[in-house]
Amino acid sequence: MSDAVAPPAAVAPGPVATRPKRPRPSLFAVVGITVAVVLTIATTWDWEYGTGFSLSEVFTNLTNNNRVIAAIPNTDLGQMLSGRSRGAFIETLQMAVLGTFGGAIVALPLALWTTTVGAPNRPVMWALRMVSNVMRSFPDVLWASLFVTAVGIGALSGLLALFCFSIAVIVKLTADTVDGIDMGPVEAARAAGAGHSQVLRTAVVPQILPAYASFVLYSFELNLRGSAVLGLVGAGGIGGRLDFFRNQGRWEEVWGIVVMFFIVVFIVDQISSAMRRRLV
Amino acid sequence: MTATATRVQAAPTPSRPARPRRSLFWTASLVLTAVLVGWAAVGLDAKWERLISAPADMWRLAQLMFGNMTWSDVGRLLDAMWDSIAIAWLGTMLAAAVAVPLAFLAARNLGGTLVSLVIRQFFNMLRALPEVILVIAFIPIFGLSLNAGVLAIAIGSIGTLGKLCAEILEGLDDGPLEAADAAGANRLQRLRWGVLPQALPELMSFVLYRFEINIRVSAVLGAVGAGGIGGTLVNALSFNEFGVAGLALIIVVLGTIAVDMISGWVRRRIIAGPRSERRHGDVAPDALAADALTATL
Repeated sequence: MSDAVAPPAAVAPGPVATRPKRPRPSLFAVVGITVAVVLTIATTWDWEYGTGFSLSEVFTNLTNNNRVIAAIPNTDLGQMLSGRSRGAFIETLQMAVLGTFGGAIVALPLALWTTTVGAPNRPVMWALRMVSNVMRSFPDVLWASLFVTAVGIGALSGLLALFCFSIAVIVKLTADTVDGIDMGPVEAARAAGAGHSQVLRTAVVPQILPAYASFVLYSFELNLRGSAVLGLVGAGGIGGRLDFFRNQGRWEEVWGIVVMFFIVVFIVDQISSAMRRRLV
Repeated sequence: MTATATRVQAAPTPSRPARPRRSLFWTASLVLTAVLVGWAAVGLDAKWERLISAPADMWRLAQLMFGNMTWSDVGRLLDAMWDSIAIAWLGTMLAAAVAVPLAFLAARNLGGTLVSLVIRQFFNMLRALPEVILVIAFIPIFGLSLNAGVLAIAIGSIGTLGKLCAEILEGLDDGPLEAADAAGANRLQRLRWGVLPQALPELMSFVLYRFEINIRVSAVLGAVGAGGIGGTLVNALSFNEFGVAGLALIIVVLGTIAVDMISGWVRRRIIAGPRSERRHGDVAPDALAADALTATL
């Protein structure tokens, strides 16, 4: 009984809890936030190095009468039935499939060679890392305009552009995954006397395969979305149709193709992300 | 003792374990891939004969581009690169200003079930719209100012950024939220003390990551006519000014890599904190980001 009474008595004389002192913001946070604010103001300002962006201007422009927005209610949904638009769409899909597939095949060994576990030797690793960094800074449309200039107008240039773009995306993501693998199986394989390629085959690749497959699908989604642009620089696919109608000012048809594009991307995204959820 | 010895001798030599059967999912995926690739390869009307000469063609183009560079163009091209960076930064900030608050509503644990469902669908719709299509529509509306690019990037980023941020918020530890509730916090205080301290580093890191992506996007938008370095590069190529194109290419690559490096360093510092050392077996911060991306994008 007396034991049960004791605790409250012990609590009562305790000092009133004071509020702990607030930690000071780190120098990093202060500098970082200042830079971000200055950068935002500098880029918004209407001067030599700013964009002169103003929301009120955007608003007046949007509410003014213009043919682009006026065409939205009259969107030409018949584009979905038009043979030429459908053909261009199928070309886009085929470019995306082949570009991603080719890129994925090349990207797996490249990704392994850019990591400390998988590289045959250091110079190869550093050289490939540099190539991968440079490739990654190219957006797909730059690849496309380079290939259009060198190889010529048409679907082949678009295909090659998506091929290069996929390599860049998949190599980077896969290499990051390889860096994070469990080293246990690798040590086990080495202890069992596996050579370099056997280690990769039996201990590294099985660990990264699901992630790699999901990166390939992700890259396919990116490629499908990106392929809308390729046609604008002459690399085939639906972008060419888009550019054609845009230059003629036929916005009803442009919006029709946009709706069609929207539907295709949505369906492919749903399938692809369902598969990726299953993988990861 | 003798019993154990005989038992060991009697044990069969270990046989190789049977190879696990491939799951139906993998087999089906492989078949589907094969069918798709076959269909595309047969159906695509490309000038395949040019594929063999493509590497040589690219090599010739590289020689033309990097052999004719004149350094007097550097200033003009750097200005164009800065325009691209400014478009990307401002677009990202605008997108964040809209997407982050919406993400709080879209997260199932913070917003209501119905509200979060509606906002999620809104994000999904925006995600399906490529920026290029936006900019094609915006250029005639906004004229040749940089507004079209900024707005296209802003709208194009809201969907992805919002979705990612909502996923981060859903993954939060419930403890601080419960503590805030128990201490009698109202909804705003709950966000301020229960959610923000946990989520802010990751949210900021994803906004920066999006900025890195948007640098590339703004270069793409330039090619369609929205200003910036991409437009300069594509125009130079189509007018056969190979020297200008080569220099622009170098500036794009160096500029993008420089921004990536700075932004990547800041992101690692935000997530991992000061003086953090990577220990053996730790997952690299970038790898974490990659996992998060594939899980959600």
